[in-house]
Amino acid sequence: MTPPPVNPNAVFLNIPYDEEFQKLYIAYIVGLSQLGFDPCITSGIPGGDRRLDRVLALIQSCRYSIHDLSRVELSAVPPATPRFNMPLELGITITWAKLHPKRHTWFLWESTPRRLQKSMSDLDGTDPYIHSGTVEGILSELRNAFVRDGAPSVLKMMAAYRLVEGNIERILTGAGARNLYAASVFRELCLVALDVVRRTKSVAVEFTTDASEK
Amino acid sequence: MPRPIHITTPVEPLETRIKRLRITKSRQKELLAIMDEAWARLAAERKTRPNASALPGEKPKRDSAAR
Repeated sequence: MTPPPVNPNAVFLNIPYDEEFQKLYIAYIVGLSQLGFDPCITSGIPGGDRRLDRVLALIQSCRYSIHDLSRVELSAVPPATPRFNMPLELGITITWAKLHPKRHTWFLWESTPRRLQKSMSDLDGTDPYIHSGTVEGILSELRNAFVRDGAPSVLKMMAAYRLVEGNIERILTGAGARNLYAASVFRELCLVALDVVRRTKSVAVEFTTDASEK
Repeated sequence: MPRPIHITTPVEPLETRIKRLRITKSRQKELLAIMDEAWARLAAERKTRPNASALPGEKPKRDSAAR
């Protein structure tokens, strides 16, 4: 099977789709958009036999990937079960990147130092980015991972985040949805995040501090 | 510390990125209207509180006379 072409600015986000993670999810979308990247997630890929093929195709089409393992834990609902989708997708990605190192680069993200050594000792020697479970941590670590000329400051990325986050309810209402991770809502969040980039020209020009100059 | 990546790939034009999202024009209009209002609120807030931050989360400008 021929792999799809690589989008050099696409970042595959391997993250949990749960309520506790919503703010960090928005932070990833806003932060990556601010840095000139296009986030991609697996929501919207239907289940069934071909789901894994489509997940692989999505990983193959992205130049980078972020694997946030901060919520790889036992589910609260009995029977207590570990969440394996994220480690599985990480494994697929590592294999793909090993076979095609020029096509893909992956990053590990965690909330606390040393948790990764405990959960996946095979990854010893791979330093994760530590976001401490905060929006600011995500934005700051995105800037640390991806160094790009003209990147906005964390303070300015935070401002963009608040602008998007403050309108989530209206976006969901308009979409007639409650799930922030639904494929259509994800695309709408990306659009809104890009609109903030457009109005502030954050990558090409330094983020203006005057809102009236929109 | 993990090693950062220096990105030299040019950023794609916004229009291309927006087009790829495949959102209907009418919904785009609705979403942009929501953001228009958000920015307008921000601008209004700034007018009433000129020393307040321009965007939520930004530090207020320093009053040079106070230094």
